[in-house]
Amino acid sequence: MANETQVQSLSANNFEQCLKCSICTVYCPVSAVTPSYPGPKQAGPDGERYRLKNKEFFNEALKLCLNCKRCEVACPSNVHIGDIIQAARIKYSTHSPSLRDRMLANTDFVGTMASPFAPIANPVLKLKPVKAILHGVMAIDKHRTFPDYSRVKFESWFKKHAQASQDQYAKHVSYFHGCYANYNYPKLGQDLVKVLNAVGYGVHLLEKEKCCGVALIANGMPNQARRQGEVNMRSMRKAIAQGHPIVTTSSTCTFTMRDEYEHLLGIDNHDVRDSISLATRFLYQLIERGEIQLAFRDDYHKRVAYHSACHMERMGWVPFSTRLLRMIPGVDFVMLDSQCCGISGTYGFKKENYERSQAIGSTLFQNIAEENPDCVATDCETCKWQIEMSTGVPVENPISIIADALDVEETKKLNC
Amino acid sequence: MKFDAIIMGGGLTGLTAGIALAQAGRDVAVVSNGQSTLHFNGGTLDLLGCDEAGNAVRNPLNAIDALSDNHPYKKVGDVKALAEKAQRLLDGAGIATEGNAEKNHWRLTPIGGMKPAWLSLKGMATIDDPDHLPWKSVAVVNIVNYLDFLSPFVAEALRERGVQVDVKEFTTPELDEARKSPSEMRATNIAKVVERQDLTQTVADAINYCLDKEYDMVLLPAVLGISSGERGDQLLQLIDTPAAFVATLPPSVPGVRMQTLLRKRFQQLGGTFIVGDQVTGGRFEGDKLKCVTTAKLEGSVLEAENFVLATGSFMSRGLVADYNHIYEPALGVDVDDNGLNRANWAALEVTDPQPYMETGVRTDEHLRCSKDGTTIANLYAAGSILSGHNGIKRVDASGVDMITALQVANNILNS
Repeated sequence: MANETQVQSLSANNFEQCLKCSICTVYCPVSAVTPSYPGPKQAGPDGERYRLKNKEFFNEALKLCLNCKRCEVACPSNVHIGDIIQAARIKYSTHSPSLRDRMLANTDFVGTMASPFAPIANPVLKLKPVKAILHGVMAIDKHRTFPDYSRVKFESWFKKHAQASQDQYAKHVSYFHGCYANYNYPKLGQDLVKVLNAVGYGVHLLEKEKCCGVALIANGMPNQARRQGEVNMRSMRKAIAQGHPIVTTSSTCTFTMRDEYEHLLGIDNHDVRDSISLATRFLYQLIERGEIQLAFRDDYHKRVAYHSACHMERMGWVPFSTRLLRMIPGVDFVMLDSQCCGISGTYGFKKENYERSQAIGSTLFQNIAEENPDCVATDCETCKWQIEMSTGVPVENPISIIADALDVEETKKLNC
Repeated sequence: MKFDAIIMGGGLTGLTAGIALAQAGRDVAVVSNGQSTLHFNGGTLDLLGCDEAGNAVRNPLNAIDALSDNHPYKKVGDVKALAEKAQRLLDGAGIATEGNAEKNHWRLTPIGGMKPAWLSLKGMATIDDPDHLPWKSVAVVNIVNYLDFLSPFVAEALRERGVQVDVKEFTTPELDEARKSPSEMRATNIAKVVERQDLTQTVADAINYCLDKEYDMVLLPAVLGISSGERGDQLLQLIDTPAAFVATLPPSVPGVRMQTLLRKRFQQLGGTFIVGDQVTGGRFEGDKLKCVTTAKLEGSVLEAENFVLATGSFMSRGLVADYNHIYEPALGVDVDDNGLNRANWAALEVTDPQPYMETGVRTDEHLRCSKDGTTIANLYAAGSILSGHNGIKRVDASGVDMITALQVANNILNS
């Protein structure tokens, strides 16, 4: 009875379980470089007690939180510190998103507009005067370059070149490609199709896919994020009903749809959540169960340094990607110290955050330079932009590395 | 996911066992539910500091014989050899220490107490004999408005022992800036500010400037060097008089450094460190543990030949007490309550030795756990989760962590 009472008196993000041990502050990338940020313990469980009494205690400095969730990973008491902070922003912030924030957050709208004009948009966005205007007028930092928009969206490529051949496979998945694979880097989606086809899986698009909404949440547009989330959940339910697991290639989209939908947006995803899996985890578990085998080329040799993206770490799925990469005989594997790269989606694009963003990432960049890899592997696309811009070392999704190292013919033979 | 060994718990015990096994070529995973209590460690390790009567122990190795039979050290073959091995293991991880198992030294606590210690990180203030302090005059120097180093307490404790003490303060513009959110002026954030802006010389100058005369010793809060001890060494060299560090309240930089360097060493040896996940159960077959499940690796299990339970005591939730029972939550292995009934769990005075502290998981002579009375042949326990010791009363917590971890690693390698 007494024990039940204790459990019942926990709030949604369990701030009551904070022991005040302060370990979270050790791992907060923001408070280390920005003394005006109150830090995870103060901004999270400590502040929550005050905010419950009076919303006047809400502090707009909470927008400095990257939502990296490293505080939650470090917390020995499993307090949802990052969720407390983000939920407080959604509940109490009176700040309305600027045009810049809306533009950065609407990744699929901007992508749809930019892709057809990619040959013009890409070089134009790199021009100094354009960057100066973006910097001055839009407050998008001049040091940043927008990732190139692809002339042909992944979806268009898929419909034209891959869709027709997918029904020949005995087993099937539906692929949530996310904005990045669709508008900026269709090769990632192509790599996934290549790998999954080789192991006997057909790949399909969802009936309707919207941006997962992570940038909308971060930029103060939870209602739009919720609407998009509901669309994704509806499409995924249909795919699951057909027997298709949902496969993804972005750790952040995956984390958002599995955990943030419920915790921050109140979307009921309980019937979908377990069917959403990152492709590396999906492959690893198939291999583990003896259902598929991979064969790799003899002539593939690369020193690969793995960077644990924040949301990948929060999901606890880093071992899936690293164990999978270590299966490739030609990979000389290096594990980088797990730390935030500083970009955090749209955060680092904002003029006011640029220096902070680079200061946060500096020790990671140094670590990469010391290890001197041929490429960095990470499951997050925004980490890729940040690391490539800041170190010059190419960054690949583990799926692209596998696609590159795969002996397709041999793999097909093993899995037919 | 298959490994040779899976260690539950990523603190001093888990990483010590993990490094020892990985060094022997085993494929090891450590699963850690958040970060460990090593973050509160003040840069010293204790082997055995107090005897049954509460008197300070000078030679820990000699005092081990007098321990009760259920103390974890009684299940260790050669404590001396393992103590030496532990020091080498730390050294190999880049953690330079001073001290040895045959002679305790004394360390200063953040509030000026003196406690027996086995090993101290290089640069920490230590004393050979608490009855004869080696200093006549000491300056206790703090950073202005830094709240986690209680310089007046340290000063008072030294004055009581006849030392002439001055309390001094210093700051630099960068350190002032670091105090914008007072709650965030923590030892680790100060360390990061000094490191990123390369302020060692600036800090040394500010300290030297506030020292207006000669002292035998300058005591400073240990706020430098998260990823290595180098910066702290540099600072001490740049100060005009002999100087040393005293631990601060948590988070403690020397403790975080130990955690960081041990984890790094483990990963360099090929170990897999899984943080922020917790073991939720295990599948037992006969007298063997086949695999464990975790909260986040849904759909996959962690399989291994051998398992080590190093999830710590109550604070780390290696042990949990509800209103009527004390139990081990991850695997439900047997717990020794030493015949305590509920009413006697706690002593009346909070500072008295607390009987519940000696509860822990039951192990056989090879430090193997049991479940429902059956010894599990491939499940070992090490560290503060073990029954039969009270780390606060005996001042033996980190020694039990490292020594039993190394013994378990040996038992696994010899099995």
